[in-house]
Amino acid sequence: MRRRGITIATVLAVVAAAVAASLVGRAAPSASAAPSASACMKVKLGVLAPLTGPAAFLGQEQLSWVQYAISSFNKKYKTSFGVKQGDSQLSASLARTVGRQFVADKSIFGVVGGSTSQSVISTGDLFKAAKLVSVSGSATRVDLTSGKNSTFFRVVPNDSVQAPNIANFVSGKLKAKRVLVVDSQDDYSTALAPAVGAALKAKGVKVDTGSVAADATDFSNLITTSVAGDTDVVVFATQTASAANALSQQLIEQGKKALVLGTDGAYSPSQYKPKHGYVSSFANDLNFLPSAKSIVAGYKTFSKGKTFGTFGPPSYMAAWVIMNAANNACKDGHATRGEVVTQVKKTNVPSILGGNLKFTAHGDVAGAKFYIFEITNGSYKNVA
Amino acid sequence: MSEPNAPPLEGPGIGKDEWVARVEARTQSGLPGEIRRFLLALPPWARIALIAVPAACIPALTNNGYFLQVAIDTSLFVLLALGLNIAVGWAGLLDLGYIAFYGFGAYGYAMLASGHTGLHWQAEVAIPVVVVATALLGFLLGLPSWRLVGDYLAIVTLFFFQIFLTVVNNGQRIQLPFKKLEAGLTRGPNGISDVDPLNFFGWHLNSLREYLWLAVGAFVVVIGALYLVNESRTGRAWRALREDPLAAEVMSMPVNWLKLVAFAAGAGIAGLTGTIFAAEQGSVFPSNFDLALLITLYAMVILGGVGSIYGVVIGAVVINVSLEVLRTPAHASWLFFIGLVLVFPVILKSWRLRGLVVAGVIGFGFAVHGIVGALWSGGVDGSTTGEAWIDRLIDNWVLLPNDPTVIGRWAYVTLIAAVLGLTLLRGLWRAAAIVPVLYLAACVWENVLVLQPSVARYIMLGGMLVALMAARPQGLLGSPRVEIV
Amino acid sequence: MDFIAVFDNLNWDSFVQLTVNGLTLGSAYALIALGYSLVYGILKLLNFAHGDVFMVGAFIGWGVIGVLGGSANPIVPVWLAISFMIIAAALGCALLGVVIERFAYRPLRNAPRIAPLISALGVSFFLQNSVLLLFSADFKTYNTFDFSGGTLFLSGINWGPLHISLLRIIVIGSAFAMMGLLALLVYRTRLGKAMRATSFDREAAAMMGIDVDRVIVWTFFIGSALAGVAGVLVGLIFSQINHFMGFNYGLKGFTAAVVGGIGNVPGAMLGGLLIGLAESYSFGYISDVWQNLIVFSILVAFMLGRPSGILGRADIKKV
Repeated sequence: MRRRGITIATVLAVVAAAVAASLVGRAAPSASAAPSASACMKVKLGVLAPLTGPAAFLGQEQLSWVQYAISSFNKKYKTSFGVKQGDSQLSASLARTVGRQFVADKSIFGVVGGSTSQSVISTGDLFKAAKLVSVSGSATRVDLTSGKNSTFFRVVPNDSVQAPNIANFVSGKLKAKRVLVVDSQDDYSTALAPAVGAALKAKGVKVDTGSVAADATDFSNLITTSVAGDTDVVVFATQTASAANALSQQLIEQGKKALVLGTDGAYSPSQYKPKHGYVSSFANDLNFLPSAKSIVAGYKTFSKGKTFGTFGPPSYMAAWVIMNAANNACKDGHATRGEVVTQVKKTNVPSILGGNLKFTAHGDVAGAKFYIFEITNGSYKNVA
Repeated sequence: MSEPNAPPLEGPGIGKDEWVARVEARTQSGLPGEIRRFLLALPPWARIALIAVPAACIPALTNNGYFLQVAIDTSLFVLLALGLNIAVGWAGLLDLGYIAFYGFGAYGYAMLASGHTGLHWQAEVAIPVVVVATALLGFLLGLPSWRLVGDYLAIVTLFFFQIFLTVVNNGQRIQLPFKKLEAGLTRGPNGISDVDPLNFFGWHLNSLREYLWLAVGAFVVVIGALYLVNESRTGRAWRALREDPLAAEVMSMPVNWLKLVAFAAGAGIAGLTGTIFAAEQGSVFPSNFDLALLITLYAMVILGGVGSIYGVVIGAVVINVSLEVLRTPAHASWLFFIGLVLVFPVILKSWRLRGLVVAGVIGFGFAVHGIVGALWSGGVDGSTTGEAWIDRLIDNWVLLPNDPTVIGRWAYVTLIAAVLGLTLLRGLWRAAAIVPVLYLAACVWENVLVLQPSVARYIMLGGMLVALMAARPQGLLGSPRVEIV
Repeated sequence: MDFIAVFDNLNWDSFVQLTVNGLTLGSAYALIALGYSLVYGILKLLNFAHGDVFMVGAFIGWGVIGVLGGSANPIVPVWLAISFMIIAAALGCALLGVVIERFAYRPLRNAPRIAPLISALGVSFFLQNSVLLLFSADFKTYNTFDFSGGTLFLSGINWGPLHISLLRIIVIGSAFAMMGLLALLVYRTRLGKAMRATSFDREAAAMMGIDVDRVIVWTFFIGSALAGVAGVLVGLIFSQINHFMGFNYGLKGFTAAVVGGIGNVPGAMLGGLLIGLAESYSFGYISDVWQNLIVFSILVAFMLGRPSGILGRADIKKV
C-alpha cells in the first residue's frame, strides 16, 4: 500500500513535470525560436509605465502619446511598429517582472520608460544584459545617467538642471529673501528638495525646510510651524498637482503672503490653479507652443479629444527616437537589439518640443533646460 | 488509479458521530474525495516532492526569464504564506505586521551585503544573522500578545507595520551613532539599489535559475520543519491555543511562550524570504512592502485553508499565478470563464439546473446583444483586445459599448447589488436570477475589470475574503471547525 | 527639517493656531471613532471597513457638488449645498454600513473572532479598490475655495496675526452638533437604552425581549452615517479626497476610540480630540516627519498600559 503510494507519487510528479513542460514549451517558442536578427517586420516597442494604480493618469498619457507616435511614424515611413504594454503600477518589483517579460519577447527592440526613477533602477541591469535600449520620457533622477546603464537614455533634462533653474528664478526674478523648501517623502522629492535648498543657499537666500507625507492633504500644521511672516516663496516638491493647489489655498486661509512654486511633478493646468503661483516643468507645454499647433491637433484627432499635460509629448519623442533607430538599423534587412542601441546613440532628430534632439555620452539629452510658468487666476504663462 | 473504494457508509460506525460521518461521506465521495484520499495516503516527503520537483524542473524546460521570475515570485509567496500560517492558522493570532518582518529581512540583508554600507558579507553568514535578528524582532512584537488578544493585537501589529514603513521611508534622515552612512540608514524612498547577489562560500548566485533552486530548496527545508513542528507537542499546543486559549492555559500549557514562539517562527521565515527577495531583485524599496501585499498574503492563507500546510501552498500558487495571468487582458477573459466553471457547481446542486442555467445564460446573452444592437448600435460597437476565436465570440455575445466609462460604472454597482441580492434567494428563484446576473458579470468583466487588471485583482481578492468567510471559512483544504456547546 | 523642528516662529499665536488645526482634525477623528466605538461596544468587532465607509462618504459629497453644478456656481445657495452634501453622505453611508453588516458580518455572528476580522479586511480592500476602479486614482477636489469666491476661507475670526476661518468654525461646529445629537440618542431614547443594554450583555438583552439584530442594524446605521458626515467635513476643509484616505483616518479614528475607552461614547469624542491635538503638537513642536510614529507609539503605550482607555471601565472577564 505504502510502496504503491510512492510509485504513484513518482509517476504523478513526472506527469506534472511533463504537463508543465508542454505548457511552457507552447508558450516559449516566441522566446527561443525567433532569431534575434529578425526581418524587421513585427518589431514592437515596450511601454513600461504605471498604466493602472495611483499614477495611472501619468502612464495612460504616456501610452497614448506613444501610440500616437507609432501611428505617425508608421504612416510616414511605411513601417509596421507595434506596442506592448507593461504595467508597472508604480512598483519597483513589478517593473522588474515586466522588464523580464520585455527581455524575453524578442520582437521588442526598445522600451519607452521606465516612467519613474525606481523602475529604471530595478530594470537597469536586465536591459543592459539584454542590450535592450530604454528611453524614458519622465525619469529625472540624476544618478540614472551616471554611465552605469549604457542602454538607458532620457529625453527630458535631469534634476541637476531643475534645481539651479528654480533657484535662479526664485532668487533672481522673484527676489525672494526667505524660502521654505518642502519635500513630500517620496523618491522624487527627497532627491530634488535638498538640491533646490542647497542651490538657494548658495545664492544667499535664507532657506527653511519642511516635509509632509506623500498623501497629505492637511498642510495647516506645516504652514503654522514653518511658514514665517516674511517667507516669500514655498518651493513644494511634489508629484500631486492638487496638493500644490491645496497648499496655496491653505496659505491664504492662514493669511500668509508666501507664494507656492511647484516642481515639475505639480504641473497640471487642470488641477493646480492658484490665484497666483508658479510651477516648473521639464518640457514646454505643447498647448502653449504656437509651433506645435499641428501636432496638438493631430493628437486630438488621434486620441478622440483627450487632454494632456507635459508627460505625454516627451514619451512621443522617446518612441520616435527608438523607431528612428530601429528603422536605420533595419536598412540592411535585419537588425539586432545591439544595433538599435548604437543607432539611438547617434540620434539627431527634430523634436516636437523644439530644436533638435541629441544625446550626451551618458544618455542625457544635450542642451536641456527646464521651463517655469507663472499662474494667475488659474491661467498659465511661460516666464522662464 | 486503482485504490480500492472505501466501504459504503451505512450509518455511523462505532464511536463515530453521525454528523461527522455524514460530512465525511460528503467530502470523500467523487473525484475530489478520491484525490484527497490518495494524497493523504502519501508519505509526507513524497507530498513535498510532488510540489518541489516540478518547481525545480521549470528551468530545464524554459529559459524565458519572465516565466522563471514568476516561478521565483510564486516560491517566495509560498514561503511567506507558510510563515504567516504559523501565527494566524496555528496559533490563531491575527498578525497584521507580518510584512514588516519580510521587509526587515530584505533591508537587513541589504545592509549587510551592499555598496550602501560597504559591508559585503557572505550569504552563509548574512542569512543566518538576518533570520535570527528577524525572529528576535518577532519575539519582541509577540510580547504585546501577552496582554492583548484579537482585535487589539491586530491593531498593535498594524501599527508596528506602519512604524516600520515610516522608518524605512524616512530612513535617509536617520544616522547610526557609530557609523556614518552617506545616505542615512535606508536611503529613504530611493531604496538601496546595489545589493549583492547571494554568495555562498564563494559560489555566486547570478542567474534566475539558481535563485529558483535556492527558493525551492528553502521551501523544502521550511515545509519539512513545519511538518515536524505541526506533528509535535508544540504544534498540538498551538492548535489548542487557537481553539480555546483559556482551556489551554488551564491545561497548564505555557500560553505566553507559545505565542512568542509562533510569532518568532513566522518572522524568521519571513526574514529568510526577505533576504532571497532582496538579493534577487538587487535592490529594496519601501514600496516593496505595502498593505496590498499583506492582503494578498491573507487571501492566500485563507483560500488554501487556515492551518493546513498544503492548503496554504496551493492557495499561494493559485493566487499568484492567477494574478499574473490576469495582467494580460486576453488571458484574463479565459481566467474569468474558467473561474465561472469552477464556482458554478458550488452555487447550483443539480446537474439539470446547471445545464439549464448555462444554456440560459448563453441564449440570454445573444438575445440581449441582438436587441440592444438593433436599438442602439453604439452599445455593441466596441471590441475586446484579443484576436483569438473566443474573443470574436465574446464580441458578439457581450455588450461592448463604444465608450464604457460611464455605463461601466453603473453596471459595476448594479452587479454588486445583484450578487448580494442573489445570496438572499433560494431554490428555483435563485437559478432563474443567476442567468441575468452571470451575463451582467461577463459584461462588467469585459468592459471594466479587464481594462484595469491591477485594480480588478484586488477587488477580487477582497471579495473573495468576504465570500470565503461567509461560505467556507475553512478554505479549500482546511478542516471545518465544529463548535461544541 | 531634521529631527527637531525650527522653533524661531513658534510662539503663543502659533500655539493657538496649532490647537485650532488639531481640533479640526480631531473632530473628524472623533466622528469616525464614534462609529468604531458603537460597533465595538455591541459586537466586539473591530470594523476595519469603517475607515473606507468614511472615504465613500467623502466621495458622495464630491458627487453631490458635481450634480449641483460645481462649487464655483452651485445652483442652490452655498449653505444649502453643504447641507445637501452632508445629508446625502450620511444617508448613503448609513445604507452602505447596513449592507456591510447584513452581508459580511451577520453570517459570522457566532464564528471564531478571527473570521469577522478577516471579513472586515476584505470589505475594506473591496471598497477601496472599487472606488479606485470607478473614479481612478488621482485626487478629487471639492474646490471648496471657489464657494462664494473664497469667503469660507477668508472670513472668520481675526485675532492679531491669528486667523480662524469660517470653514473651520463650520466644520468643528457641525462635528460637535453631531456628537451632541448622538449623545442625546444614546442616553435619552429607547433605542439608545436598547443599544446600551445590548452592549452591556448581548444575551441578557435578547432575553429581556430586545431585538438584538435590529439594534445592531441601527448601530451600523448611526455609526456609518457619522463617518459619512466626517468624510464630507474632511473633504470640505482639506478640499482633496482619494480612495486611500480611509486607511489613515480609520486608523487614527480607531486609535481615538481606544484611547478614550472603546465602547464609551464621550470617551470616543475625547479620544478623537486628543489624537488630533497630539498630531498637531507633535508636528509643531517635535518633528514633521515622525508625527505619525509619535501618535502610534502613544497608542501602543496606551493599549499596553491602560487598554480600557481614559474613560472606559476595566473589562473583567468571568469564566
